[in-house]
Amino acid sequence: MTDVFAALGHGFAVAATPINLFFCLAGAICGTLIGVLPGLGPVATISLLLPATYALSPVSAIIMLAGIYYGAQYGGSTTAILVNIPGESTSVVTAIDGYKMAQQGRASEALAIAAIGSFIAGCIGTVVIALLGPPLALMTQQFASPDYFSLMVLGLVSAVVLANGSAFRAIAMIFLGLLLGMVGMDLNTGEARMTFGLVELSDGINFVALVMGLFGVAEVISNLEGASVRIVNKMRIGTIWPSFKALRGAWGAVLRGTALGTLFGILPGGGATIASFSAYALEKRVARDRSRFGNGAIEGVAGPESANNAAAQTSFVPLLTMGIPTSATMALMVGALTLHGIAPGPMIISRQPDLFWGLIASMFLGNAMLVIINLPMIGIWVRLLAVPYRLLYLVIVVICAIGVYSVNNSSFDVYMTVGFSLLGYVLRKLDAEPAPLLMGFVLGPMVEENFRRSLITSHGDPMIFLQRPISLALLLVSAALLISIMMPAVRQRRVEVFQE
Amino acid sequence: MRSPAGRGHNTDFYSGLLLVAVATVALLYIRTLEVGTVLEMGPGYFPLGLALVLLGMGLCLAVKGLLAEGSPIGSFHLRPLICILLSFTAFGVLVERAGLIIAILAQVAIAHFASVETRWRQSLVSGVLLAAASAVIFVWLLKIPVDLLP
Repeated sequence: MTDVFAALGHGFAVAATPINLFFCLAGAICGTLIGVLPGLGPVATISLLLPATYALSPVSAIIMLAGIYYGAQYGGSTTAILVNIPGESTSVVTAIDGYKMAQQGRASEALAIAAIGSFIAGCIGTVVIALLGPPLALMTQQFASPDYFSLMVLGLVSAVVLANGSAFRAIAMIFLGLLLGMVGMDLNTGEARMTFGLVELSDGINFVALVMGLFGVAEVISNLEGASVRIVNKMRIGTIWPSFKALRGAWGAVLRGTALGTLFGILPGGGATIASFSAYALEKRVARDRSRFGNGAIEGVAGPESANNAAAQTSFVPLLTMGIPTSATMALMVGALTLHGIAPGPMIISRQPDLFWGLIASMFLGNAMLVIINLPMIGIWVRLLAVPYRLLYLVIVVICAIGVYSVNNSSFDVYMTVGFSLLGYVLRKLDAEPAPLLMGFVLGPMVEENFRRSLITSHGDPMIFLQRPISLALLLVSAALLISIMMPAVRQRRVEVFQE
Repeated sequence: MRSPAGRGHNTDFYSGLLLVAVATVALLYIRTLEVGTVLEMGPGYFPLGLALVLLGMGLCLAVKGLLAEGSPIGSFHLRPLICILLSFTAFGVLVERAGLIIAILAQVAIAHFASVETRWRQSLVSGVLLAAASAVIFVWLLKIPVDLLP
């Protein structure tokens, strides 16, 4: 226990250097910005800003990218409450009661409880990472390659759970991603694979080009399809501070939301969106008077907003301790770490203590900054909504192009982005989500390596995956997850959750 | 919710077709790789397995789309699609030949036509501002090795 505090102290020393403080703030501001602007999600933005973190040290880079992710959870609630447009999918349920509160003239109360709930949840979530991280990493260090292989399988299955729509198609997308991940040099023999004879592909498909095309540019193109929505905000926001009575009413909801979010963040197949939906459902269930929900119940804002922020923090646990991403955003973090030459996994805590503890400490600081960014300065963010998309998208495409180009200073990467944008657009039209594809792409090389290594140690016997207890347990969990989403009852429930 | 689409004209059929196409191309290129055995896996072993699974899943989807009704394909909007993709291509072609400033101006000029709501005066100002800002931030501060002008 004292070790944790000593390490955390070290983390604060890392996070409080002026440069890291600056990038923490920059991430928090960027996150709030994209959270406020609809039609620009965290996945697209983080992929947009990935090249910009190139010049930074790995610690500053990951601190900033994390700031964008949890900052977006704060910003998303602002527009959900004020104009009934959730900036992020995680704030969809917040709009139900939050916007009602705003209509009743209680906008400031709703905004304040969203920010305070998020802050408390963020702090508790961070403590959970600090306490859970080291023991989990120690446990994962016992893993041999068959166990790793099964862990990756679990990670991939969780991508299926997260995907909206047909599970079969999500699995197909994973295999497509895995196959794309194979492009480039074979690790064991150095032979070029599926490079079409192009030298540019020998290091594999450029991660930034793939992500930016599939998520960033494809999203811009679909946003340009219809007429843009003009947002007029007539709401007057007074001083943002909740009354004592309101705080007391929301206290329980904040804590319940935090607990739920913390849990969902760690679990594979959880994630911030599902956490916020579940928190809303839970608040509705425990409330004495259910009719208040949908009519401006403060718990309906406090619960989901706390849950999504807690989950945003704790979803770093599987990434930093075991090296598996549990969502598309975390897959991006894997990419970011790999770009900086750091292999995500159990060795991060012992080999890169600055990175692990610095990131945790920066989350405390970032959450505090976000409360300040969001509460007194809320007027500025709301005014940003007035920026028309016809100007915004021009800025986005130019930053995208320069960003992709600057990774390797190669025009080839820009052309590759064009290809992946087309693929991303077509996949959208075919109702196939690109997120599982990304997970497959990121995990592909690791899956292959561990698969090959396992079969070498077992002399070609595939039973090795079932003979090792850890591997067997992980595979059983994966199978249970897969079967559960195929079952009609759960399937129905999933559809409801996504449609609500 | 979109109304169900007829056989052969639904998302299942076309996503299946797409997967089959990708898997076929991959298989053509995996052909030249050594596959090896379970005991001594060659570079082609794992990709071959993946491509075959993908081919199988693609065929399943395509057949399902042919036999049953499914949800229709979303409508393609060619104007934003073509303009945005072209604008990126123009940037890629021009950035090393004509310099960053011209590449950005060309990209904005083409991207301008992606939306019907853009106004040429605003786009012109945005383009000039973006070129100037990029020159300062990326070339001057971040020192990306790229020429500003031809």
